[in-house]
Amino acid sequence: MVLEATMICIDNSEWMRNGDYSPSRFQAQADAVNLICGAKTQSNPENTVGVLIMAGKGVRVLVTPTSDLGKILACMHGLEVGGEMNLAAGIQVAQLALKHRQNKKQQQRIIVFAGSPVKHEKKMLEMIGRKLKKNSVALDIVNFGEDDEEKTEKLESLLAAVNNNDTSHIVHVPAGPNALSDVLISTPIFTGDGEGGSGFAAAAAAAAAGGVSGYDFGVDPNLDPELALALRVSMEEERARQEAAAKKAAEDTSKQGGEQQAGSQEASSQDATMTERASASTSEAENKTTDLMDDENALLQQALAMSMDEPAVGHDVKDTDMSEASVDDPELALALQLSVADSTKDQASQSEVLADQSAVSDILASLPGVDLNDPSIKDLLASMQNKSELQKKNDDKSSNEEKK
Amino acid sequence: MACLHDHSCEDHDCSSDWSLYKHIDLDKVSALNEATTGTVKSVFKAWEHRLNTSGEHLESNEGDPELLVFIPFTSDVKIKSISIVGGADGTSPSKMRAFINRDGIDFSDAQSMQAIQEWDLAENMQGVLEYQTRYSKFQSVGNITLHFPDNFGGDTTKIHYIGLKGEATQLKRDVVATIVYELMPNPSDHKTRAETGGGFSHVE
Repeated sequence: MVLEATMICIDNSEWMRNGDYSPSRFQAQADAVNLICGAKTQSNPENTVGVLIMAGKGVRVLVTPTSDLGKILACMHGLEVGGEMNLAAGIQVAQLALKHRQNKKQQQRIIVFAGSPVKHEKKMLEMIGRKLKKNSVALDIVNFGEDDEEKTEKLESLLAAVNNNDTSHIVHVPAGPNALSDVLISTPIFTGDGEGGSGFAAAAAAAAAGGVSGYDFGVDPNLDPELALALRVSMEEERARQEAAAKKAAEDTSKQGGEQQAGSQEASSQDATMTERASASTSEAENKTTDLMDDENALLQQALAMSMDEPAVGHDVKDTDMSEASVDDPELALALQLSVADSTKDQASQSEVLADQSAVSDILASLPGVDLNDPSIKDLLASMQNKSELQKKNDDKSSNEEKK
Repeated sequence: MACLHDHSCEDHDCSSDWSLYKHIDLDKVSALNEATTGTVKSVFKAWEHRLNTSGEHLESNEGDPELLVFIPFTSDVKIKSISIVGGADGTSPSKMRAFINRDGIDFSDAQSMQAIQEWDLAENMQGVLEYQTRYSKFQSVGNITLHFPDNFGGDTTKIHYIGLKGEATQLKRDVVATIVYELMPNPSDHKTRAETGGGFSHVE
C-alpha cells in the first residue's frame, strides 16, 4: 500500500520486432506494462503511473503520471517500433516527469524495460544511478530481449548505484515459453518491497501457476471472498473452542486433587480455602459446583459413618458439613448435634450431651432473660446434673439386674 | 562550557529556549541523500542531548556531502536562531541555506532557487554556536527546508543535532478548507443584504 508515482520507460526500438517472445517482444512488453499499471493502481488508489518511450524519434512522454488506467491503455495503442533506445535520456526524462508530480507525498519509482543493447558507458550509468539515489528515486530494471554480457554488467552496476535498502530491483527474463508478464508477476516488481504483495498480484500469480494449493482452504479469496472468510472464521472458532476445552480439562484435574485435600482439613483452614476460591475471579461457578459436590460427598460419608455408630467423627467435620454458618455459631452447632443425636443415637448419649454442663450453660446463657448467676438457675442446673447421674445409676442398675 | 549568551549556562536553563523541537511533526520529517533512511529524525532532540553522539545521527551518502532536510511543524512557528552540531574530521557542514514554506524541494530546486537566508557555518563541536535568523522573515513558518551544500572536506557530512530556538504560535497556516467552484456562477444565487429594491448586488 505504498503511495507511489511510477514512470514506465518502454523500449520501442528496432530490436523489439523479434519474435523470440511471443507474439513479438514489443507485444509482450505492452502486456507487461498493462499488468503493471493495473497492479499499481489497485494496490493503492492514489498511485499514479506514467509512460514514456525511449526510442522512435526520441524520448517522448506518452502520458504523465495519472491514476486513469484507461488513458494509459489507450496510449499504448498504435505505437510504432523503430529507432534506437536512449537509456540515459529516458531515465533522466522520467526523473523529471516524477519531479513534477502533483502529489509530492508519493514515492518516486522508475520501471525500465531494457530490451536492446545499451550503448552508454558504465560510468555514465553509475552517475545517473547515484543521482537517482540522491533524490530518493527507486529503479526497477527488466532485462529482456538482447542478451549480451556487457549489457547485463552495465545494468547490474546501474542497479548497484541506485539501490538504497533494497528498494530497487533487476529482473532478467530469458526468451522461452513463459510470457514476459507471467515471469514478472512473481518478482518484487509486482509484489512490492517486502509487503507480501497485493491481492491482485497474488491472485494473478496463482492463476498463472495453475495451482490452487496456495490457499488455506482450497478456495481462492479473490474468486469467492465470502466463502473463504467463512471458512477462515469457522476454523478460528474451532481452534479457540478446542483450546478452551483443553484448558478447562487441565484446570479440572488440578482442582480435583486440591479439593479432596481441603475436605479433610479443619474447619478454619477449609473456610480459608473456601474464601480463597471465592476470591478467584475466573471459573468461580465451576468452583462452586465442585464445592457443592464435595460437600454432598462428605455429607454422605458422614451419614454412613453415623449409621455405623462411629463415635470418632470429629466436631469440626460435622459442623462444616451441615452448613457454612455452623462454624461461627457453637450454640447452633450444639443444637444441630443434639438433633442429629436425637435421630440416630439412644438416650444414653443424649443424657451425656445434657450432662455436658458447659455446653448447657452456654445455651442457657444465650437465652434472653437468663442470668447464670441467678441462684434458681444454678439450682436447676445442679438438679439436672443430679438427674442425669441418677439416670446413669438407674441404667447401670437395670443392666446389672438384667444380667442377673 | 561557555554559552554565546552573556551569562553562564549554570544559572540559566538554556534547554527551555531550544524547545521548538517539540513542535516538529516528526513523522513527516524527511531528508534527501541520507545514507540510512529515517536517521534524520534522530537529530531533533532536547538541548541537553545535543552532544550525545552515541546514538543515531544523520549522515550523507559516501562521497557526496550534500544534505537536504525538510522539517514540517505542527503549527506555525517563529524561528529566532538555529544551532547545528556536526561531526568531527571535516564532516561538519560548512554552509546552510534555508527555504521557508516550500514543499517538495529537491537538490536541483535547492541549487537553483534563491534561499531565504544563507549562513556560513563553523565547526561547532561543543554545540555553543547559534546562527541568528532575520526574524522578520521567519515569522510564520509552517515548514523549513535546510540545504547543506558542502562540508569541511570530509567524505560524508554528519549532523548530530539541529536545534531551533523561537516561539510557537498555536495557529496553523491558512489552509483554505472548503472552496466551492462554480461552473456557471449566477449572481442571483448570491443575494446579499442590499438585494431588494433594485440596485446591483455585488458578489463578494
